[in-house]
Amino acid sequence: MPASVPLLELNLSLPWARPVPAIYWFDRRLRAWFSAQPHPAPLAIVIAGTGGDGNTAKLSTLRAVLYGAGYHVLTVPSPTFPGFIVSASSTGVAGDLKQDSQDLYAALQLLVAHLPRRTQITDVDLLGYSLGGAHAAVIKSIDDVERKLKIHRVIMINPPVSLFSSIGRLDELFTLSIGSGDSGVEQLYKRLYTRLANLYRRSNKVTIDETDLYSAASAVLRSDADFSAVIALSFRLSLVDVFYAGDLYAGTGIVVDPTHPPGVGDSLEQIGVVLRGKTFADYFRDVFAPYYLAHRPGSTAASLLADNRLDIIADTLEHNPDYFAMTNNDDPILSAEDLAWLRAKLGSRIVVYDHGGHLGNLGERQQVADLLEMLAGRWQSGT
Amino acid sequence: MRARALPGLAALLLGGCASGPLTVHHLPPQTPAADNAAAVALAASNPFQNAADAKDGPDVVSGRSAAVPPMHTYDPWERMNRFFYRFNTRFDEAIFLPVANNYQRLPAPLQAGVHNFFDNLAEPTTVINDVLQLQLHSGLRNLGRFIVNSTLGIGGLFDVATRTRLQSSPTGFSATLGRWGLHPGPYLVIPILGPSTLRDGFGLLGDYGLAYEVNVADLYRGAKGYALWPIDVTDQRANTDFRYYASGSPFEYETTRFLYVHRELLEDEALHAKSTPTVINRKAPDTVTH
Repeated sequence: MPASVPLLELNLSLPWARPVPAIYWFDRRLRAWFSAQPHPAPLAIVIAGTGGDGNTAKLSTLRAVLYGAGYHVLTVPSPTFPGFIVSASSTGVAGDLKQDSQDLYAALQLLVAHLPRRTQITDVDLLGYSLGGAHAAVIKSIDDVERKLKIHRVIMINPPVSLFSSIGRLDELFTLSIGSGDSGVEQLYKRLYTRLANLYRRSNKVTIDETDLYSAASAVLRSDADFSAVIALSFRLSLVDVFYAGDLYAGTGIVVDPTHPPGVGDSLEQIGVVLRGKTFADYFRDVFAPYYLAHRPGSTAASLLADNRLDIIADTLEHNPDYFAMTNNDDPILSAEDLAWLRAKLGSRIVVYDHGGHLGNLGERQQVADLLEMLAGRWQSGT
Repeated sequence: MRARALPGLAALLLGGCASGPLTVHHLPPQTPAADNAAAVALAASNPFQNAADAKDGPDVVSGRSAAVPPMHTYDPWERMNRFFYRFNTRFDEAIFLPVANNYQRLPAPLQAGVHNFFDNLAEPTTVINDVLQLQLHSGLRNLGRFIVNSTLGIGGLFDVATRTRLQSSPTGFSATLGRWGLHPGPYLVIPILGPSTLRDGFGLLGDYGLAYEVNVADLYRGAKGYALWPIDVTDQRANTDFRYYASGSPFEYETTRFLYVHRELLEDEALHAKSTPTVINRKAPDTVTH
C-alpha cells in the first residue's frame, strides 16, 4: 500500500435534484472522494455497498490498493445511502437495481465532468462491492449503449445475484440468529450500541464505521462460527434509513405521516424503534412494491422481483469479456444456485475463493492481486 | 477536552458559507499503513470488557422502567439540543473543518509539536483532577510527564515522557465529579463544542478555572492567552474524528446521543472499579513524537 494517498472531497449539487424534505437539510449535495495521480492514468470508480457513503473503510482499502497501482480513484456512495437518495435519486425509493443504476450513472457523469481540470484520464474502469457490484455491472451495461463514460472493465466484488432473494436470506438469518419480536430486537440494538460505546471509551469517537460495527456485532451476537448473522445485522441497520426515506418520498404512510412529516427539530425516537423491527420483506411489501406498481403500469410484484436480478444483463455478462467478478463460496448473500449462475455466466472471468464470507477477504494479498490482474486485462483463469 | 478550548472557540466565530454547484475540500492525505497500525492498536487496547455487556436492564441514563424503549437516553432539552446540533453542523462545515483541514496540511512534525505543547499545558489540570479522584498513581505519573516534557521535551513540544513509558492518561473535572457520584445528567449539545452532558459542561468550566488559576508560564493571562486559543482549538478539531451527518441519516442525532452518554457511563464505571485506564494515543501527530 502507498504511504500516502491524496484526497479531495467533492460536494456536488445535481441540477435535476428534487426539493429536499426539511428533515434532510444536511443532505443537499452528493458527496464523493477523489484521489488524483500527478500524471495521466486510468480512472477507477468504486461504488459502495448497501447503505455505504463514498468513504467507507472498505472504500479506503480499495482506494489505497488502486491508487498504489497507479489509478486515479473516485469513490462514490451506494444509491441506498441516504445522502444519495436525497441528493441524487430520481425516486427516493431505493432498491430498484436498474433505476438506482441509472441515477448513479447520471451522477457519475457529472462527477467525472467536475474532476480537477489537470486530471488526465486514459481509461475508465468501474468497481463495486456487495450491492455496489451489481450497480457497477448494470451501469456498464447502460454505458455500453450510451457511451458517455466509455467504461472499459467492470469488477463486481461479492455481488448479489438477486437483490430481494439475498435480502430475504438476510431476513431469515436475522430471525434465526437474533429472533423476532420488537422488544427482543430493540434490546439487541441496545447491546450493540453499548458495545460500540465501550469500543469508543477513552477516544473521542461517537460515529459508527463498518469495522467498529462488525466488531461490536460479533461480540454481541457471539457468532464467531456464523459471521453471517453479523452481516445480516449490518444490513438491517442500513434498512432503517432506506425504509424511512422510501416511506417519506413514496408517501406510503407506514412510519411517516405524509401530511405531517417530521420537521427538523422533531424527535425520531419512536419512529426509530418501529423501523428497527422492520424486515426487508416489510420494505418490499409496504413501500417498494406500492410505489413501483403505481409508477410502472403493467408491472406486478413478481415482475418487480425479476427486474432486480442480474438476469436483466445476463447476455451481456455471458458474452462481454470486460465483466469480471470475485466472490466467496461461503458468502451468505449467495445461494448455491446464485453462485452456479454467476459461474455459468462469467465462466473464467469469475474467481471464487473458498473462504471469506461476505467481503471478509477484501484487501487480502491474493484478492488484491487478482483484482489488479482483472482490471489490467491480464486475468487468465478463475478457480 | 483541554480547558483552554472553551473561551477560545469564540475566536473562530468568523467566516461564511460556500455556494455554487461544486465545492471541493482539500483533505489531508490518507496514510493507509499508519491508519492500519492505529486501528490495530485501538483494537488491542479495547478488549471487550464486561461493562458493555452487563447493562441490558433498566435504562441507567433515564432511570425509567422497561416500558421506555431501551435505546432511550435522557434528553429533556431535546429541541434546544437539536437546534445546536444543526448550528454546529453548519459551523463545522463553514469554518471549523476548512481551518482544521488546512492545519493538517502543515508538516507533520510541526503539527505534532503544537499538539504536544497544548497537551502538556493541560497536564497540571489533569494532575489536580487525579488527586481529586484519589488516583494518586496516575497523578504522579502525569506530574512526571509534565516535568519531563516541560524540560527534556523543550516546553512540551516533544512528548519525551511517552517514549520513557510514562503514558498519557488525561482526565478532567467532569470525571472527578463522576468519581464522587455525580450522574452525567441530561444530554447537552454545547454550541460549537458539540455532544456533551450537563456534567461535562460543568467539567469544562471547572477545568478552565483550574487552568486559569495554575496559569502555567503565565500563558493564561492577557494577549498571549488570546493568541494561543485559536491554535489550540484548531489542533483539537483536527484531532477529533467526528463529522456531523457523515452518516447522512436523520437518525444520527439519536445515535450520537446514545453513544456519547453511554460511553461516559462506561467511563464512570471503569473509574469506580479503579481499573487502570486504557491509553489510546491520539491520531496522526502522536505517531511522529520524538
